[in-house]
Amino acid sequence: MHTESDEELVKRIASADRLAMKVLFSRHQTRVYRFALRLLRDETMAEDVTGDVFMDLWRQADRFEARSSVTTWLLTIARNKSYSALRKRRDAALDDDFAESIEDDADDPEIVLQKQDKGLAIRACLNQLSREHREVIDLVYYHEGSVEEVAKIVGIPENTVKTRLFHARKKLGELLKTAGIDRGWP
Amino acid sequence: MTDTIATDPKRSELEELLPFYANGRISAADKARIETALAADPELAQRLDIIRDDMAETTLLNESLGAPSPRVLDRLMAGMDAEPRQLGLLATAKGGFVSGGFLAWLGNLLAAQPPRRLAYAGAAACALIAIQGLALTSFALRETTGYETASAPSLSSERYVLLSFASDARAGDIASFFKRFDASVVDGPRANGFFKVRVGDASLTQAQVDAIAARMKSEAAIVRFVAPAP
Repeated sequence: MHTESDEELVKRIASADRLAMKVLFSRHQTRVYRFALRLLRDETMAEDVTGDVFMDLWRQADRFEARSSVTTWLLTIARNKSYSALRKRRDAALDDDFAESIEDDADDPEIVLQKQDKGLAIRACLNQLSREHREVIDLVYYHEGSVEEVAKIVGIPENTVKTRLFHARKKLGELLKTAGIDRGWP
Repeated sequence: MTDTIATDPKRSELEELLPFYANGRISAADKARIETALAADPELAQRLDIIRDDMAETTLLNESLGAPSPRVLDRLMAGMDAEPRQLGLLATAKGGFVSGGFLAWLGNLLAAQPPRRLAYAGAAACALIAIQGLALTSFALRETTGYETASAPSLSSERYVLLSFASDARAGDIASFFKRFDASVVDGPRANGFFKVRVGDASLTQAQVDAIAARMKSEAAIVRFVAPAP
């Protein structure tokens, strides 16, 4: 069975093929949504961003001069739109770090530890990372990004990707240590 | 405790590459350098274990986020109706998509990407999963939407675990493992060799899924990591 590649689909979308648009949307909607949701922590906003990302693809496919994969391009747009949405929310006179202040549904890491589940504690600590650190962790650990791809998506130099990820990992270890899990580093 | 890696620029540089070694997105030259270093540096190997644990939990966390509601596609389709694309621009654009230049370039770029390697699932597991993956792709394409990928959470009535295989697990052992647990791969390999595996239908309680995961975990010769997944 032949499954069309992303680039084949984009070519069809550039010719205003709605069916190709649906296929590409179905293929990438979950990835884009989850990336946006982790940044925004708001399901409705993440859904709006997801729709807007694909609308941009529909509008700009024929002018698209990609220097990376379709996935990287979609995540780059998703990131830009997410941060733009965060700025709008801030402009609406909400607290500057509104999203960061929202309590996560997950248990506090220490409570989780009392339940003797190291995996849950790690996930709780992942949720406590700053947006900047969450973003780079997700892009490398979940979205399988290379140094070059993450640099492109986040808009930072490649060396900064490595050092930012290092500090995110270190912060995660520190949070776990505070919660009572010492993994030997940091 | 003194961080001896941080004070050694050479080890520190390799350490910062470990996440990309773990997700398989690294050049062959860097991969070889890291593997040489790992063989002689237990502290570096320990860092890699930490990264793999965090990678597994990050995957579980993201998988738990679900998928966007159908309203997103509805809105998108409505937006496309309201804003029909102008045909012809592309067909005449030199060096654009239809010229083949960009697509050929993009195709080459994609082909040059390092393959998504399985850092600790053996090649035998890859072959086995590839066969299952083909079957699942066919299944997913037969779904009513027609285009849902196997990775999309379309089968909410099922029960899953996320797992990765031990680096030296053999194909025969993995096949027998799946048979023993009446399990099947529904997605994967994901980052760093993780697989989403169906272990039963909705009749299983969470406690039963936990018990299955615990039994799988006890098979350390085959499984490196396993946890119930959404």
